[in-house]
Amino acid sequence: MRVLKVMAVLLALLVLVLGAWSWQNREHLAAFPDILSAYTAKEYCSCRYVSGYSAQYCQGFVKQWLPLDSFAADDSARQVTATGLGRSNTARWLNERQGCRLDP
Amino acid sequence: MRAVFSAAALAATLLSPALWAQEHWPVPAWSVAPAAASPALEALNAYAFPTRDDATRQGVRSDALLVIKDGQIVYERYAGENTAQTPHLLWSVSKSVWATVLGVAYGEGLFQLDQPVAEHYPPLKQHPKVTYRNLLHWASGLAWAEDYEYAPLQSSVVAMLYTRGHTDMAAFTAAHSTGVAPGTRHAYSSGDSNLLGAALKGPLGERYAEYPWAALFTPLGISSARFEADGQGTYVASSYAYMTARDLARIGLLMQRDGRWQDQQLLPADWVRFNRTLFAHAEADQPGEALPGGQWWLNAELNGQKPWPDAPADAFAALGHWGQTLTVLPSQQLIVVRFADDRDHSYAHNTLLRLVQAAFVPGEE
Repeated sequence: MRVLKVMAVLLALLVLVLGAWSWQNREHLAAFPDILSAYTAKEYCSCRYVSGYSAQYCQGFVKQWLPLDSFAADDSARQVTATGLGRSNTARWLNERQGCRLDP
Repeated sequence: MRAVFSAAALAATLLSPALWAQEHWPVPAWSVAPAAASPALEALNAYAFPTRDDATRQGVRSDALLVIKDGQIVYERYAGENTAQTPHLLWSVSKSVWATVLGVAYGEGLFQLDQPVAEHYPPLKQHPKVTYRNLLHWASGLAWAEDYEYAPLQSSVVAMLYTRGHTDMAAFTAAHSTGVAPGTRHAYSSGDSNLLGAALKGPLGERYAEYPWAALFTPLGISSARFEADGQGTYVASSYAYMTARDLARIGLLMQRDGRWQDQQLLPADWVRFNRTLFAHAEADQPGEALPGGQWWLNAELNGQKPWPDAPADAFAALGHWGQTLTVLPSQQLIVVRFADDRDHSYAHNTLLRLVQAAFVPGEE
């Protein structure tokens, strides 16, 4: 019984600490899931359409630990969309000098 | 006064061809004088280009290695899909490229080193004491977290490039709070570099978009340069310049020759001196870690040690993520460009510089 009480207090503390940490980091946590798809879309676009490497090379170049849900590169429009961790991001080639950019 | 000036100008035109015509310049193209085969050259090849492991991405993974000696190519090799025509991503080497663009603007009198940047870039007015000099030393004092892979959640640089900051990277940086007083501590920050990217928008106005080409790339004969911008059209000075190894070496040669391109002083000599002067409050954090100058990295001696012990103390470099480097060794008239895709810490810059010197500097073996 006493052990249970101690555990309940510890659990409550843990929830409190986690809650406080999440609140403190809420901006970071909200943005975090975008990193995977945004990084992949932007760096693949530049790898392929700015530096001019092959699709196969660029797939390897942007590969991360976490898997993507979907990925589509349109070579004629020079536009790349990646989806992962529930977020989707698109990068597109603008012109010769200024290369690729993430969509807002 | 005018007579004196034009007499001096005339003398300069008459004299200068004699001076610079004796030097090798990549105008219009680099001349190539390959070094003869030698054991030292073999050792350099073996170090820089081991069999490449694309499955595990482990080990030294050079994409390109180019060595210039006395203004001529003495060594050039590419790996994988890279060629002499590949505009390679420079990552943080871009910071020093942008600083070179700034150097031309400095020569035009567009800003002073001790001028508050907020005078040119209003979003920085919460930090009214931050000067160009502070940003150039990566010493804005802003509370910034420069960490890529190991702490991605709170990394300011990842958020700037890919999430909360990507539409306006300079404003994202300017919104950070103050950590320490400006100019008191070097804390490497891509945000500081992107504030420098935005700072010139004020004084340049409509010339801004064209300026890197008009001021630097075209005069140097650089045709491969690309420079990506954020949602505000601000060049991502921290990370997103691209060019070939041969073109990047042109910036190296400009720096090696104190800002002079043939008979034209493109960068003021005092600007290059500033780039190459150690930040007053620099600390030797870790052995092998280069020391901060003005948006360039120095092999300066601090506490009796140099970051690259086997290279001369006047060596300086532009350094980027995953092994991108442009190193200038002025006392040996050497320029070394290396592009890479190093995904671990196998590569040691000191080792490369030692092997390059052994191969191309007589009496170094």
